[in-house]
Amino acid sequence: MAVPLEYAARETVANLWRNRMMALAAILTVAVSLSLVGTALLLRQAVNRQIGQWSDNVSLQIFMKADATPQQLGDVRMMIAQTPQITRCGYLDHQRSYQQARQVLAGSPTAIAALTPATTPTVFKCQLERPGDAPAVAATFNTGVPGVYQATSPSRSIHVLQQVANVLQLILLVIAIVLLVSSLVLILNAIRMAIFARRREVGVMKLVGATNWFIRVPFMLEGLVQGLLGALAAVVIVLLSNIGVGYLIRHYKISVFGAAVLPAHDLVMTELVVVLIGVVVGVAGSSMAVRRFLDV
Amino acid sequence: MIRFDNVTLSYKGSPPALDGISLEIQKGEFVFLVGPSGSGKTTFLKLLLREEVPDSGTIWVAGRDIGALSHWRVPYLRRNLGCVFQDFRLLPSKTVSENVAFALEVIGRPRNVVVNQVTQVLELVGLGQKHARMPHELSGGEQQRVAIARAFVNRPLVLLADEPTGNLDPATSQGIMKLLDRINRTGTTVVMATHDVGIVDTMRRRVVQLERGRLVRDQARGVYGYADDATISGRGMRAISIVDTSGEELGAPGLPTGRVATVRARRGER
Repeated sequence: MAVPLEYAARETVANLWRNRMMALAAILTVAVSLSLVGTALLLRQAVNRQIGQWSDNVSLQIFMKADATPQQLGDVRMMIAQTPQITRCGYLDHQRSYQQARQVLAGSPTAIAALTPATTPTVFKCQLERPGDAPAVAATFNTGVPGVYQATSPSRSIHVLQQVANVLQLILLVIAIVLLVSSLVLILNAIRMAIFARRREVGVMKLVGATNWFIRVPFMLEGLVQGLLGALAAVVIVLLSNIGVGYLIRHYKISVFGAAVLPAHDLVMTELVVVLIGVVVGVAGSSMAVRRFLDV
Repeated sequence: MIRFDNVTLSYKGSPPALDGISLEIQKGEFVFLVGPSGSGKTTFLKLLLREEVPDSGTIWVAGRDIGALSHWRVPYLRRNLGCVFQDFRLLPSKTVSENVAFALEVIGRPRNVVVNQVTQVLELVGLGQKHARMPHELSGGEQQRVAIARAFVNRPLVLLADEPTGNLDPATSQGIMKLLDRINRTGTTVVMATHDVGIVDTMRRRVVQLERGRLVRDQARGVYGYADDATISGRGMRAISIVDTSGEELGAPGLPTGRVATVRARRGER
């Protein structure tokens, strides 16, 4: 039953070369569609990370003035305790607030350099029972309470941004799925043509008693290679676009998007998913072709 | 070696291609399958290869009921059956030795075995010198020799030939028959479907005649002709004794002189 690897590899390469135009079309389509899949996945992660950082599960932030006195601080604490809508509140002192600011501004070293723990405003981060109350509660702290610099609720713009990202992601995924289906069909067709081109060989193989798997494997391998090559091209494209976006964010100091630059771990996982999809599409396309057009 | 037990096969919506065939072929026999086009010769061979499955009846090859063979075992059945066709079915992009080697490679034979066997079998068919040629550079007879080499390289128990001389001139056909005869002498059972009157009459081997799917004649050391069957049986017996005693003698004294002359003329050409 075992199919000699050397034979299968040789046949696969020969087939791909003989059928190179068809194979190229299939590979490119896989590459484009998987690039979109990868981009959509990265976009979702980036948006989630960024929004997570912005809102940090906090629906209200009360920034104190850097020079607020302990007395003023105590008054604000009292005021928070007396506000029924607020369920929980944490206080970041100068040191911790500074640490967080460094994270947020990771993309722009010059901004970090301008900060010292002493000049970083301290902040209360509060959760509300109903996040929708945030603007109203924020307003009560923005009425000139001594020591309070500003109270903010995550602005509507974050939600708008999230929704735009969701829609964009959905569109990308729909296009990607359509392209994936077409690449599946292209691979199926490429394999069908390979089978047709080799029908004499296949006939002789059947006649002299080659096993079914021996006949099938080179064709299935051909589909797998097409899917894999397309996926690898997509990996490179996604990698380059990620580097490009990271560069833009750093170069133009769009530090608010600093978190959109994904850590290596997320990137690797996404690329693995892309490769996996490529392999699945290749194997599925060639399996269908083998099943339908290669009666062994 | 081969046994058909009341085998019937109909293709959809037509009268049976084979109808209640029962027949036994011993190991080492040489059998001609004769009959007009559409009489079921090719179907007979396809059944042996299990390209077709009978509607009823059983077929035994080398002691196995091939109808009971599971799908994945069919290739192993075919490794015991060499196959030669009228149209050679060589791979045009491969050389002579590559064509023959292909048959061994695709059943996973190791490289050194392949090289050995291919060299041997090409010597056997007389193409040792032309192993590096492409099929299109060869004559029809030579191409058929390559096809026979490919069918025989794995030393099958049975060699099936479907009108192997159908595309060849009489002199070349004689050469091919001599080769098949030699292969038969190695103990390989040969089943050959043919239209070639001259060959069947010359070889004087067992003749199985099919007509519209029915077995109408099964004659040891028979001739092609059917019309003069009644008159030929006695002569057939005499012919047998001559063949038996002389071994190489192929002429049949009982045949009409014209035919004998043809036979002699062909033998002279060789």
